[in-house]
Amino acid sequence: MTSIPLLEVDELRFRYGDRAAVDGASFAVHEAEIFGFLGPNGAGKTTTISCVCGLLDGWQGAMRFGGAAFTPARVAADRARVGLVPQELAIYEELTGRENLEFFGSLGGLAGASLTAAVDRGLEITGLADRAGDRADTYSGGMKRRLNIAAGDLHQPELLILDEPTAGVDPQSRNHIFEALQALRADGRTLLYTTHYMEEAERLCDRIAILDQGRLVDLGSAEELAARAGTPGANLEEVFLGLTGHSLRDHA
Amino acid sequence: MSLVRDAWTIARKDLRSYFRDRTGMLLGFLLPIALVTAFGFIAQVLYGGQSAMGRTTLWFADEDQSSGSGAFVELLRDSSTIALRPRAGDEPVDAAEARLKVEDGDAHHALIIPAGFGAAIESGGLPELQMVRDPARSMEGQMISIGLMQAYMGATEGKSFPAMMGRQMEQLGMEAEQAQGVVAAAEMIRGLIEVFVDEEEAEEQAAPPATAAADIEQAFSMDTFMTSMVPVANEDIPPPARPRQMGYMQAQSVAGMVVMMLMFGLVACGSSLIVEREGGTLPRLLAAPISRDAILLGKLIFTVIIGYVQLIVLFSYGELLFGFGAFQDPVTLAILMISITAAVTGFGLLVATWARTQKQAEGVSTLIILVMSCLGGAWFPLQLFDVPQVVEVIMRCTLVHWAMSGLQNMFFHQQDWTHPNILTSLAVLWGFAVVAVLASRWLYYRRLAVSK
Repeated sequence: MTSIPLLEVDELRFRYGDRAAVDGASFAVHEAEIFGFLGPNGAGKTTTISCVCGLLDGWQGAMRFGGAAFTPARVAADRARVGLVPQELAIYEELTGRENLEFFGSLGGLAGASLTAAVDRGLEITGLADRAGDRADTYSGGMKRRLNIAAGDLHQPELLILDEPTAGVDPQSRNHIFEALQALRADGRTLLYTTHYMEEAERLCDRIAILDQGRLVDLGSAEELAARAGTPGANLEEVFLGLTGHSLRDHA
Repeated sequence: MSLVRDAWTIARKDLRSYFRDRTGMLLGFLLPIALVTAFGFIAQVLYGGQSAMGRTTLWFADEDQSSGSGAFVELLRDSSTIALRPRAGDEPVDAAEARLKVEDGDAHHALIIPAGFGAAIESGGLPELQMVRDPARSMEGQMISIGLMQAYMGATEGKSFPAMMGRQMEQLGMEAEQAQGVVAAAEMIRGLIEVFVDEEEAEEQAAPPATAAADIEQAFSMDTFMTSMVPVANEDIPPPARPRQMGYMQAQSVAGMVVMMLMFGLVACGSSLIVEREGGTLPRLLAAPISRDAILLGKLIFTVIIGYVQLIVLFSYGELLFGFGAFQDPVTLAILMISITAAVTGFGLLVATWARTQKQAEGVSTLIILVMSCLGGAWFPLQLFDVPQVVEVIMRCTLVHWAMSGLQNMFFHQQDWTHPNILTSLAVLWGFAVVAVLASRWLYYRRLAVSK
């Protein structure tokens, strides 16, 4: 495991009106790790990610990236350091897979040969090279998910944020996505990964942060979390429920 | 420069998506084309030629079937205020059928020419016509009266003029004996006119062929003679290059449909911002290392391009179909098109940034476009009506009014872009565009992106 912090979030707070969505969360994502971000619905995961991606401004606290102040909502160069794979499929169905990637690559600042190379690499990693010339609306759900991931990683951001990238896909596609993510980790890439599937987090993530009601409840490897919860050997789901409770969070 | 480059990247993607959806694109172009065709033809048929006003329909039943009544019917057909039914060659109707049409509401006026009409006018009598009418249609009645008088005077060749004068005087309360004196005097006047006409015709036949043609233009016509008795000095000032077949109402219809459909089309294009949000791609665009203004500018460029292409296609089509000289002044047309497109694009973006959902955008834009089209004169020229001042002010607040005003001044009045009327339209349209785009930008940052 690496120990150099790439992204440091310190006492992050964000309010929607009177409601505190993130309430003093602090964590650091280290270089070349897959950082898991777990929490029940309404825990503040998406709000935190939105602050890190520059989708939300007006937060309080501090963020540093590579040791420097980080204000992605206001500085385009800060946004270039982060890639986003949204939970929703953020692709254009009427365009081909290649056209989608070329478009997002262009917005990421790529052009010419470097754009072509990045698109080819993205298609290769996600196993879409054979269908690159087909319109995205002819893709299966799993293929669209893979295209969604490739689109976020084209400009090779220092931190790739994946918001529930396997939601609603079959086991085959999920395995393919895992392989793609593990390939990225093998390349030394840093990933921030959110999911509701505990076994995914256990399988992929080096460290896991558990967020609840806008606050960080615990942070560590799956084993460390289990040990700290007083249930060594327990699976992550048991630890998660132990830390966040069994009550429904539909109100959030 | 990266702002423009990034905006162009987004615009190019939108153009690619737009043209990739062939059905949607065809509908986007075909619907306006269908409306322009339909309304252009309707205007041509209803209002025809260079006439600004329409003809009103008059049904007739000829109970006389004489050569005199036939000539009277032909003169009615030639009237500039009456559209006579049944058409020539159609199955004629009798008096009962004509009456039934008015009773059923299928017609508002039906004229019955009684038996003996031809013989009566031949003898200088004053045969009475019968008009079956809907009393609520008095405006049409006025137009029919004009045409009827012209045809009546023409058919009797002025022979009925003395009798008409006598009848008028009796109706005003004159004693029958005195009225007969008026008739006699009118007979004498008519006799003098006939002598004059005979002499003119004789001179005309003796004149060389070169001048005969010009004189025929001014040949004596009793109906014109009667209707021009009011002392009015007419001065005709036709624009120098108006195509002969171009009618005011046709220009109105084509321009009106083009402007209205352009608004519908461009609101849909501007709404691609909402489509991005509802489709989940907006967060990815906002998270990209580009200026947030590039996204809005990209939508603006895309919408302007589609609008301009639509206008070129629609005016080219209108020109091919109606030959109304759309490209007679290409510079003025180009300037007007870009100004109208800019104003309508601004409106489309404003709706797109204001609305939270596609449904909201569709609902509010349909309402505003239809109201603006109606009040702005896209459906019919409101200057024909005596509207209250407050309505006139509201009309002038619509961008449709200024778009229509610019197009009508170019197409019908043949004014170019340096004319004060068109410059005023251009200034107001650009005013609309600037205000709408600035308001869109404000809403965009307020609603879509939290920070610049």
